[in-house]
Amino acid sequence: MNGDLQPAAEAIQRRQFIKASAMAAATAVAGGTNFTLPVLADEPAAGVQWEKAPCRFCGTGCHVQVGVQEGKVVAVAGDRNAEVNKGLLCVKGYHVGAALYGKDRLTKPLLRDGDRYREISWEEAIKTIADRIEAAPERFAFYGSGQWTIPEGYAAQKFMKGGLSNNHIDPNARLCMASAVTGFLATYGVDEPAGCYDDLDECDVLIMWGNNPAEMHPVLFSRVIDRRSRREKITLIDISTRRTRTTEACQHYLEMKGHGDLAIANGIAHLLIKNGTYDRRFVESFCNFKASDDENPNLHGKAISFDDYRKSLEPYTPEYVEELSGVPADQIRMLGDLFGNPKLKITSLWCMGMNQHTRGTAINSMVHGVHLLSGHFGTPGNAPTSLTGQPSACGTVREVGTLAHALPGGRVVANAEHRQQAEDFWNVPTGRINAVPGHHTVKMWESFCTPTDQGGDIGTIWVQVTNPGQTLPNLNKLFNPKGDNKAGLEDKFLIVSDVYPTATTRLADLILPSAMWVEKNGVVGNSERRTQQWFKMVDPPGAARDDCWQTIAVAHELFNRGMAGMKDRDGQFLFDVKDENDKSVPVWDWEHYYDVNVDEHLFEEYRQFSRLKHKDLAPYSEYVKARGLRWPVVEIDGQWQETHFRFSEGFDPYVEPGKEIQFYHSSTHDDRAQIWFHPWIAPAEVPDDDYPFMLCTGRVLEHWHSGSMTRRIPELSRAMPGGYLEIHAADAAAHDLRNGDKVTIESRRGSLVIPVWIDGRGQPPRGTVFIPFFDETLLVNDLTLDALDPFSKQPDYKKSAVRIRKV
Amino acid sequence: MIASVVATLAEVGDAFQAIVDEFADVPGVEIGDVGNDARRVPITIDSPAPNALEEVTRRLLECRGVAFVDVVFVHFEDEPESQAAANPGEMDKS
Repeated sequence: MNGDLQPAAEAIQRRQFIKASAMAAATAVAGGTNFTLPVLADEPAAGVQWEKAPCRFCGTGCHVQVGVQEGKVVAVAGDRNAEVNKGLLCVKGYHVGAALYGKDRLTKPLLRDGDRYREISWEEAIKTIADRIEAAPERFAFYGSGQWTIPEGYAAQKFMKGGLSNNHIDPNARLCMASAVTGFLATYGVDEPAGCYDDLDECDVLIMWGNNPAEMHPVLFSRVIDRRSRREKITLIDISTRRTRTTEACQHYLEMKGHGDLAIANGIAHLLIKNGTYDRRFVESFCNFKASDDENPNLHGKAISFDDYRKSLEPYTPEYVEELSGVPADQIRMLGDLFGNPKLKITSLWCMGMNQHTRGTAINSMVHGVHLLSGHFGTPGNAPTSLTGQPSACGTVREVGTLAHALPGGRVVANAEHRQQAEDFWNVPTGRINAVPGHHTVKMWESFCTPTDQGGDIGTIWVQVTNPGQTLPNLNKLFNPKGDNKAGLEDKFLIVSDVYPTATTRLADLILPSAMWVEKNGVVGNSERRTQQWFKMVDPPGAARDDCWQTIAVAHELFNRGMAGMKDRDGQFLFDVKDENDKSVPVWDWEHYYDVNVDEHLFEEYRQFSRLKHKDLAPYSEYVKARGLRWPVVEIDGQWQETHFRFSEGFDPYVEPGKEIQFYHSSTHDDRAQIWFHPWIAPAEVPDDDYPFMLCTGRVLEHWHSGSMTRRIPELSRAMPGGYLEIHAADAAAHDLRNGDKVTIESRRGSLVIPVWIDGRGQPPRGTVFIPFFDETLLVNDLTLDALDPFSKQPDYKKSAVRIRKV
Repeated sequence: MIASVVATLAEVGDAFQAIVDEFADVPGVEIGDVGNDARRVPITIDSPAPNALEEVTRRLLECRGVAFVDVVFVHFEDEPESQAAANPGEMDKS
């Protein structure tokens, strides 16, 4: 073979090898053989190194195998060794590698200079942030994310609460799962699901409450569909305000009006009691009853008797529920019969539909309550389970506690004992942690966008790993106020760390280029309590750097300036990291950041907190070996063992022998869960003569949240290029609209010109329209309402009154 | 672009072979051994077109009896650099 032909022959040979590997992987997944990745590493000529990592996108927590060649990610494969996805990936997951390589990656720090930005050094950027904080530490806020890794969120948390004595730190997860948190707390006294994905393999009935897993958690939904294709009997029920791809696979579609879920849950409970089919033994052994305390509204309400509960439910007959929810009475009876059948195993799933809800805490508690009342709890397949949208909404936000009121390990700043525990773990002086909760997300941004002399007490916000300029509700109120526009806001300063230009970087005064995904080490926690770890595989582009390094570098700059808060009790730097020789490593200097594993250091420090609320984590080294472990992870006979089902004897190591079910963090301190009654209440905004349509917003399969990563992936952009308005065919006809026509859609807060899609991806009923929020050129949150749940402070993005007119 | 997917079939009974034949008619597609499990079909996609995966996946989903298509493997090393990015700000929204 001559020199010219040899490279071509090698290329063909290599291509054939890759194709053979691709087929081997698919055959293994399809047929259940013992094939495992890495595949290409067996072939030296391929030169591809394979390592494991969780997918960058949603909260499912699929594991991928990442193929790296010459410093670049060149291939991605589903990880067959991962219990979550068993080798499968969704359309976003298999493109996750390409998310690194958009041509407009941010690679240099940029400082606003009038209407333009100028490149600056990292040194100047760090000093600029330190100047802002030093001048007014109490006016500084940190806005983070469920995409923060656990070490990133933990560092930010410690920097703010343990360093600056400042609790103004909150995440974007406030916008997506805060009501799930308050629902769990109100019911069990402790956050996060008792069940796990194993329930999907075991249940006889799967009810999706305002949830579209076929698009939002497709690998999980595929797992369910696979059972059906194996001729297993499983009944799928979709309770929703619009038809989706999930609906197509369900035997039952219960189309409800907004807030209809409140009535449906009460209707099921009504029938269980009326028919005598509730689980009396379970309820008498393991449950109490609660209702709202209207005189003193609080998360834990007031105790009521079973008889009080029964009387409260009396009005919720199937016919009355039909009137409130729009779901036919017969279908309410069907749900009542299913929950009343103890032989069935029932799992409920929900996500944004129940969380983005001005009664989000209530509906979360009520769905838990239906499961508890019927005894469909505590055995495999019987579980009320919330899903999360971000890869570490659970790990970083809910467990590390990067919320304005929280501390790591389920602790809260308002509790003196909790503060002391954190101060001891952090080795900071007693009294360092501020007892007053900081501003939650909406309040933080309202304060930032309000002139200082009008009470706007936040002067600087540092945003990491999220895009509030696109995702906050009622954007116009914040960023495009009427009247004298931005007068009085000249002293405000916005810092944004991100990987691509976004709607938020356009608002920023200082933009910092960040590393993403396998450009850095990471640890995250998924929807089923599974903690997952990966190592850095490739370098970030240009001067992009880890978010965690950015936080530590600013902390060290403040330490150098003598800020007392950046010192521990011994006068050492708050983020002092020692090497194996017990010598401090200057990790604030980027050149030395990877001399040690900062992630491991922070994780091991954080791990102490995890035991405080029975959410025990294993040592970092155990996660290196595993495809994630579900907490509590406890050491038994020298082995670290995960927990599949919490509160259930035989599964949960913290349930005492003989207890069967033990809610050991019960808010009533009697090992019992709380079954809540909440009345049906109308949405905060409903259609009227002026605004006759209900607008629902949400996501699509191809794009992840605000689209800042997935819209850089050409395949995904081509598949779903831009935002659109879904409308019922009859409503479209009434407005003389055809597919592709543009309409102006208006709410009381803003307007948008957008193309219509009739009978497209989803089909809303008459009177409802839907717009996805991924498109930064069509900001649907200019229209959305910023009404909040009273306890979770989570906004309702699903119910805004609008009107439309053809352009 | 080289990729592999698994197509999960609904209850198709005797139509199985006809459906697999329908898959095989899709350009760039090769069908793997379905073994004893006639519910999940391994498929490779080999095409110079950068959008082959989405197009083939869409066509497979349109085939009768297909309940789901999951992706197992993708190798995108050979894509031209210019295809690896799109600036949303420059996109045509019409």
